[in-house]
Order: sequence, then structure tokens, then C-alpha cells
Amino acid sequence: MNTAAFFRVEGTLTERGSLAASAWLASNAAGVGERVARLGNVALAAPFALLGELQTGATATRVTWMGVRGMTEDRLVLLAEEYYEKYLKDDVLDIGRDLLKQAKKQGRRVVLISDNIDLVVGPLAEQLGADDLICNRLEMRKGKATGRLEDPVIGGNVTGQWARAFAQEHDIDLMASWAYGASAADSLLLSAIGQPCAVNPDRQLRRLAKDHSWPVVEK
Amino acid sequence: MSGGENERDAVASIRAGWVAETFADKHLLVTGVTGFLGKVWLAMLLDFLPEVGRVTVIVRGKKGEDADARFRRIYERSPVFRPLRQKLGQGLRALVAEKVRVVDARLVEPLCGLEPEAARALMKDVDAVVHFAGLTDFEPDPQQAIDANVRGAWHAADLAALSPAKRYVHVSTTYVAGRRSEEIPERLDEGVSPNGTPFDPSAELEGIEAELRTLDTKTKRVDAAQARAEALGWPNIYTYTKGLSEQLIATRNDVVTTTFRPAIVECARRYPFEGWNEGINTSGPLVWLLSTSFRRFPARPSNIFDVVPVDTVARTMMLVVAEALRDESQEVYQCASGHRNPLTMGRAVELCALSLRKLLRETGTDWEKHVLSRLEAYCHDPSKSEVFGYRRMRQAAKATRNFLRDFKLERKLSPDLYERIDGERLQEELRSFSMKCRTADRKLGQVDEMLRQYRPFIYDHSYVFRTDNLVNATARLVGEERSLWGFDVEEICWRHYWSKVQIPGLDKWSLPLLRGEKVPEDEPLPPADDSREGVRRKTGEVARVDIEAEIRATA
Repeated sequence: MNTAAFFRVEGTLTERGSLAASAWLASNAAGVGERVARLGNVALAAPFALLGELQTGATATRVTWMGVRGMTEDRLVLLAEEYYEKYLKDDVLDIGRDLLKQAKKQGRRVVLISDNIDLVVGPLAEQLGADDLICNRLEMRKGKATGRLEDPVIGGNVTGQWARAFAQEHDIDLMASWAYGASAADSLLLSAIGQPCAVNPDRQLRRLAKDHSWPVVEK
Repeated sequence: MSGGENERDAVASIRAGWVAETFADKHLLVTGVTGFLGKVWLAMLLDFLPEVGRVTVIVRGKKGEDADARFRRIYERSPVFRPLRQKLGQGLRALVAEKVRVVDARLVEPLCGLEPEAARALMKDVDAVVHFAGLTDFEPDPQQAIDANVRGAWHAADLAALSPAKRYVHVSTTYVAGRRSEEIPERLDEGVSPNGTPFDPSAELEGIEAELRTLDTKTKRVDAAQARAEALGWPNIYTYTKGLSEQLIATRNDVVTTTFRPAIVECARRYPFEGWNEGINTSGPLVWLLSTSFRRFPARPSNIFDVVPVDTVARTMMLVVAEALRDESQEVYQCASGHRNPLTMGRAVELCALSLRKLLRETGTDWEKHVLSRLEAYCHDPSKSEVFGYRRMRQAAKATRNFLRDFKLERKLSPDLYERIDGERLQEELRSFSMKCRTADRKLGQVDEMLRQYRPFIYDHSYVFRTDNLVNATARLVGEERSLWGFDVEEICWRHYWSKVQIPGLDKWSLPLLRGEKVPEDEPLPPADDSREGVRRKTGEVARVDIEAEIRATA
């Protein structure tokens, strides 16, 4: 059986979340008026973000990406490339990069999990040499985004159920695998894996890590 | 021919290497190899089909360079020959010396300026004449356009008529379709203009030339030719002369003509390398315009912007010449993307805006980085008037200029006040602003003129050029030859092409010319080792046609 290392991208590898990416894409729509309207739409996701991803699940993620509805695939692809170049490529967190290198050295299958879209995090996964990328995909129709995400939607809180299904499909021993998360929403994933680790954790995850005696690493 | 025979012929053609077999030991006479497309075609011919027997190129000496020197400069320094130079090094000279012969001749003269005996000697073993040469300006001096596009083609066909097989491959343009918004078939309606007017092309040529002779200025000649073009349904002098040329050649029965019509020829996808372009082609000025403060682009978003990479045009042209050499060609081939993989004007403008935004952010001035890159160009209906439209801005600039030209501050103010506010300095600033208004008026006038010329293609008409003949010709290719010579527009990802190929290519090879700058040439091949005169002669010089010797041999 193989072992894997699951990395939640947001928090362990990058500081920027999907809300930032969505807002940036919306703010670069074609016209100035359109940018304002789209940003307003993205802002609707803010209350969900405040409630916390554990409570809202994938709803926050769905609302976050509604703001790009009607933008062309060309625009989203080219802007996502620019976003990656500008904000992600050279800003990978050192601690996450080191953990990922270590996992690869130990022969683990590296799985990146993100609630961002493939256009944004795809190049990052390639850059880091990840084996799998689990992320969201925008639904496109006639060359334009519908504002919906393709199923299954990856929310802030990836569950242990998902991890078990993935492990079964790819013949992975979850008990011998590692998982790295940064926020309380990642606790469901961390609890399902044999070797959980909190990376730069938020307050809630820090408490959980302490309670469960999970290792905590910080930069 | 029966259906069964057709099938057998088709099966016979489907075998590996038939293009190479067809070109083997053939002698081609080619015009226009110093031009954008002809150059790529010749480089590909020498690179991929070294089996070809001989290529005689007609080159005219220019700007103090004779034909030999001009051609040598091309294969030694043009980026188009870079793959061949990298592959063969000094050996390129040997290849050129062995395969290529340069004839210094003028296409505008009957028999290209050759004596009849010399022409017959030259053509005695030519298998096909491939005519690329032409003038692609939209609004040139009409007589020059007629000389290059009509007379030049006629004279090239005259040469073809002297060859044994009388094959003549004529490069035209899809836009001979004129002012039409429909699907354009691959055929020529002889004696009928684009708007359906029956006309005699010979009489038309005589008529327009007679009229041009009576006019003393270029403006009058342009107006006259433009009016004639419009009356027959062509939007400009370029398409009028190209259309007239096709019609005239079609009246000849002393040559077997194959017409090849490319659409808008743009940056290379692969050959000689990604992004290569030369000179100021169709989309160069439009892209340049969008890289300035100009934002309302007068185009209809649903119209097709029919762009084809130059190497796609050159490779399919090779296929067409192969079919002509086998006497299997169709009368007309159109090489366009709109039929199989359409790129709409709206999409092209958005891709252009997004690609330019990236370019401006990377290399622009502060104004370009922080302001222009955030304000994208978009398609705009030119029939709608706008407060900040460029025409209104031009009017405002002109009015301001006129007002300030006669404005004297000294006369308007009391001497005391004039002195107190430093009127002299203020007057100087007003004068400087007046000059800026004049420059703005002139530049906006140039933009207006340019957009007027482009309007038929980006707003007025939506063409879909059928490309069935190239598709069918490609179906007869197998294996490596299909990837080398096949019609591949369906494979083009316009997003990649526009953002990674076209805009960076234009930025490097075309836009500098519009800014009055130079584009780089490659380092020349190192000089041949001239310590041994015999070797130098063998490998270092372009073979020239010794017309006298040819005549003696023929006699």
C-alpha cells in the first residue's frame, strides 16, 4: 500500500485564499462599472467567511465564485495565469515547501487540496511537482463562466469521508499517511489521517492540535 | 472520369512521401521570395524538400543592392532562414548555390524585362511558375498597384506560357470576395464583379489606366481607382487589383492556372520559429492602436477575423503546388481559418486587450503600467456617436488649436495684470499647448483614416471563406507529410496563439517599425574560407543564370 501527504494549499503553502483570487479576477473584468458590480457580488461571500468554513461548508466557496459569472474563459485563463505569476509563484511558504520536499523524499504521494480553482492553483501544483491536485473547476458554457462550480465542489472543510474514498481509490494507507492543515476547517481531514500536522494554525486549530497532541509547525 | 477512377486516383495519392516525390527534380520559377510569405515558403522548400531540382527566383535589385546581394542578404541574415543556417551552417551556401538561381528581372515589364530568346531559354525546363509577388498596401498609388498586382501577374503568366507544362500558381487573397457578407466558395465567377456586375476585365484595366494617366496627383488617382473599385464591389484598391488580376488570368488559355487565396497572414506558429513576423501586416496597425490610449475599437464583435499563421499558409501552399505539379489541382484554394476554427472580432479584441495589458505591465512606462493597462479596449459600434469618441476629440483638438492660434493674451489683459501674472510665460505655454492640439488633431486624423480603410473587414462585412479544397488535399496526406504540409487551422488554440505568439511576435517584429524603430536582423553567416578560390566559388556564391549560355544551349 502507498502512503500520501495531503496538503491544504491555503495556509500551508500560500497565504492567499480563494476569496482573494476570486476578488482579484472580478476586479479585472473588462469595464470599470463591471468590476465594481462583480466585486460587490464576491463580497456576498464575506459573511459566510466570517461564520467560518466549518459551519458553511461549500456554500462559501460557491458564493465566492459567483462573482465571475459571465466572464469569458479566455479572460479567466489569462488572468489566472497572471495571478499565479504575481501572487503565488514566488510566494510559496517556506515551511510548506520544506514539508512537501520531505514528503516527496520519503516517497509519499503528494496530494494538494484547495478550494481555489484549477486555473489558479494548477500551475502551482505543477511548480511544486504534486502528484494530485484536488480543487474546483468553473463551469463553462459557450466560452463563458456560468458562475457555478463543477461537482464535486471542494469547500473549506474537506471531510474524512472524502479522504477515505480517495485512499480506497488510490490504494493509500491512511494510517501511515500525513496531512497538513492550517485552519479549523481542516480538522475534519486531519482527524481522518494517521499522521496529522498543523502548520501555522489559526486559534481554533491550535487548540484542537493541543487537545489531540498533533504536532504543530510554524515558520 | 467515373467514380471508380476517382477513388483509384485518391488511393494512389494516399501514400507516404508523395509531396517529396512530386517535387523531386522539378524546376520551379518563383517570384516574390523577398516578401513575407514567399520567403517562408522558399525556406521551407529548401529545408524540407531538398529533393527539388532547381528553384529560379526572380528578384529585383533595390536600394543600391543588386538582385544577388539582396537575395544573399535574405538567406544569410533573415530570421526566416535561421533554422536552415542552424542546421547547415556554411552548408547553406552550398545548398543555395546548388539549388537556387537568381534572375534579376522586373515583373512590371513584358516578359519580366527579358528578351524573348532569353525568356524561352530560361523557361525551357521549368515545371511550374509560382507567383507570390504583389503589393499589399490597402491604398497605394493605383498605378503601382496595377503594375505589381495585375501587370506583374500577367507577365509571370507569360513566362509560364513559355514553359513546357504551362503551370502557373497564382497567389491572391480571399478578400477578392469584395463587399459581401456570406459564405465565399472556392471559385471564380468569370467576368462578374463581387457585386454581380458583368464586366470585361481587359476593358476595365484599359479604362482605369487611361483614366489614371489623365490625373496628376496621387490623391486624385486614389479617388478615381477607389470609386471604380467601389462601383464593382471591391472595398479598396488592393482587393480591386487582386480581383482584376484573377479575372484577367482566367481569360488566358495558354496557361493552366491554380489560384491560392490566403486570408490575413500573420505570425508564425512554428516555422521559422514561434512568433516570427515581418513588416507591417494587417493586424499590426490595429494592435499598435490598441496599445495606445485608443480604447473604443470600431468592430462588430460577431464578425470573423480571419487570421492564418504564415507557416500554415506556406505549408499548405506547398501542398497546392504539389497538386499543381501532378496536374491534379483545383482551380481555387482558399486558406482561411473562419470556416473550420472561427475567431470572432470580439474575441480577438479581448485577447488583444488582455495580452497587451500583460505586455504594458511588464515593459510599459508608468502611465502605461498603472493607467492604460487597467483600461481595456472593447468593440464599439462606430455608427453611434459618443462624447469621448475619437472624432469628437479630434474636433475639440482642432477647435482649441484654432482658438489658441489667434489668441493674444496681451490684448485681452491690461498691461499691469499681464505683467503681474507673467503673461509672457503664460502665452508661451498656451502656444505650446496649441502645438500639442495640432499634433493630436493630425494623429487622430491618421487613426480615422486607418480605421476607414479597415472598416470593411472589421465591421461592415462578415466573411466565411470555404476551405474544402485544402481539407480534401490534406486528406490525401499520410504520416509525416500530413504534419508537414497539412491544413492545420483546426489545431490552433486562439487564446494561446494570440497571447503567446501573435502579440509577442508583433511586439518584437512589427510594432517597432510603426514606432520608427528597427527590428533586429540575425548575425550573418561567417565568411566562407576564401583561401581556396575554387572552394569559395563552389560554396559561397549564388548561381546566376547565364542567359547567353542558355540561349546558345537551346540553339
